[in-house]
Amino acid sequence: MFNKVLIANRGEIALRVVRACQELGVRSVAVYSEADARAPHVREADEAVCIGPPPSSQSYLLGDKLIEVALKAGAEAIHPGYGFLSERAWFARAVRDAGLIFVGPPAEAIDAVGSKTAARQLMISAGVPVVPGTTTALRDAKEAAAIADTFGYPVLLKAAAGGGGKGMRVVRAASELESALASAQREAQNAFGDDAVYVEKYIDGPRHVEVQVLADMHGKVLHLGERECSLQRRHQKMMEEAPSPAVSPELRARMGETAVAAARAAGYVNAGTCEFLLDRDGQFYFLEMNTRIQVEHPVTELVMGLDLVQWQLRIAAGEHLPFEQKSFTPRGWAIECRITSEDPANGFLPSTGRISHLHLPSGPGVRWDGGIEAGSEVGLHYDPMLAKLIVHAPTRALAISRMQRALRELVIDGVETSRGFHLRLLEHPDVRSGDMTIQWLEAHLDELTRGSAPDDTIRIAAIAVALAAHQDKQVRATPTAADSTHSESHGASWRAVARREGLRRE
Amino acid sequence: MKYIVDIAGQRLVVEFDGTHVSVDGDKMSATLESIDGTPVRLLRVGDTVHRVLAKRDGARGQYALDVDGWQFRAEAHDERTRAIRDLADASRASAGPSPLVAPMPGLVVRVMVAAGDEVAAGQGLVVVEAMKMENELRAAVAARVTAVRAVAGTAVDKGAVLVELAAL
Repeated sequence: MFNKVLIANRGEIALRVVRACQELGVRSVAVYSEADARAPHVREADEAVCIGPPPSSQSYLLGDKLIEVALKAGAEAIHPGYGFLSERAWFARAVRDAGLIFVGPPAEAIDAVGSKTAARQLMISAGVPVVPGTTTALRDAKEAAAIADTFGYPVLLKAAAGGGGKGMRVVRAASELESALASAQREAQNAFGDDAVYVEKYIDGPRHVEVQVLADMHGKVLHLGERECSLQRRHQKMMEEAPSPAVSPELRARMGETAVAAARAAGYVNAGTCEFLLDRDGQFYFLEMNTRIQVEHPVTELVMGLDLVQWQLRIAAGEHLPFEQKSFTPRGWAIECRITSEDPANGFLPSTGRISHLHLPSGPGVRWDGGIEAGSEVGLHYDPMLAKLIVHAPTRALAISRMQRALRELVIDGVETSRGFHLRLLEHPDVRSGDMTIQWLEAHLDELTRGSAPDDTIRIAAIAVALAAHQDKQVRATPTAADSTHSESHGASWRAVARREGLRRE
Repeated sequence: MKYIVDIAGQRLVVEFDGTHVSVDGDKMSATLESIDGTPVRLLRVGDTVHRVLAKRDGARGQYALDVDGWQFRAEAHDERTRAIRDLADASRASAGPSPLVAPMPGLVVRVMVAAGDEVAAGQGLVVVEAMKMENELRAAVAARVTAVRAVAGTAVDKGAVLVELAAL
């Protein structure tokens, strides 16, 4: 194992890696921008080095600087976390060229799956299913029909320059193809000034299901089951769970074998993730491979009972994976909510400010992976994700009620957060029954953010604000602080009465 | 005591003495207790306890509330203050809608209206980029644009006036 590792990241994932290092007896070197000088990851690491001003282009993205700091500090390896430089092949290569170890896959593997078109070809040759379709523009309806016949209906016509559903048509039979193509081309021309249209297999009710893989340097590649990540807004995941309600043990084994084949084809080493689209019939299609530790890795850790970040370090240090595939069966259910500093009631606008009070949920089966504490400033320089709240319980239903309990315990005062939104999400019948697709969240966003509270809650809130306004008025009426112990009579009597009531009840 | 509460588009009358409260006539026991050293207050209504964050938000009597994970903006005043406010509000109503201001520092990406335009409630006026995300800022009420202060490509501070609006 290494003696010292540099962590080229910030926030919760930097702290997560520091903790893994501490538990493995590895010294950790944190880096930070001027905006993060007082961040928890800086304080918890054994050493910390300031690498520049707040903008990430002048700090966390300076690969050469990070390598220089690592060499100077005597670190043997660099853990890139997620985001920033974690999936840049040039950085992995530069780290290696400097005589250091990149805690992640080799640069060649990042290259192999980095470009979508190259990855698609690689996966097809490895026998990994991809969404069937063309990658060049259709000439005419005849060509479209010939291609559609190779994988069957329904098919999706899609503008090359597309977006927002414009130039998109679902075609359910060959007879509709000609007129659908003409109108898709017209729409694409009007919307984007480019009438190029592709055809691909239409995936009905697609879910985003991804498979965790772990590969050592000695040729062993294992999969650690799937994560369900369909609940996304603007391609940002909001809530993830493991296992997926749509995956049977038999499907898990098939998807897992496919993910292992994909990782082998890419020459993959370390922790990685294969993203798939899963349709209603249990057909799945490779989307892309993420060559880093994922934000949502804790749900896999909880149901599989191992520490993925520690294994990243062990694998990078050359250790053998001592497990067999058959030892990985998900135990119970885990759910993660990404707590962000966004205001769901206000179009998810980022919210900034100082966290004046923080009360963290605890108790059985609750985990908090956060990078904030009371006093933290939340600015606009970095990603709005403040922390991840993760729960583990024997069943999905119990995990949902455990998450609801934990979210209610959580108090973050000072910035707007997504906490209330997650509570609404977990109350929705579709989420509770596990019936969701990648379009579900966008389609239900208004209902979730603009829906009004139940009447009972509004009445409770009205009582609370009336009593609070009255108490605050009493406090204001108090002449001086010195007098307050005596003359804050009204507020004090509220409290005294409450205590008496409480005692009488026992 | 009698308080008039404006919340979630409703006006509720909350009457209380030291131990009981009635909302629009329904009476129940209720107490509100602060937890020292935290902004959290515990509200006991009947047999249930609710965790409440009630923070002053703007003028006196205006609060941002979090009750059981629901957020509210509410205004609570005693009868006399409420009556005075209502009179003041009535005279201010003719002053028209407030201008669109930047809710956070950021970069103006697009301005989608010009002076003289009539805009509908909820219509996008300006797109501001912050935290690498584009955020569309919308009109709160239907209005006429009287002046556009935002310039695409320029940075704005929190609270900067982007678009001036007048009543239709």
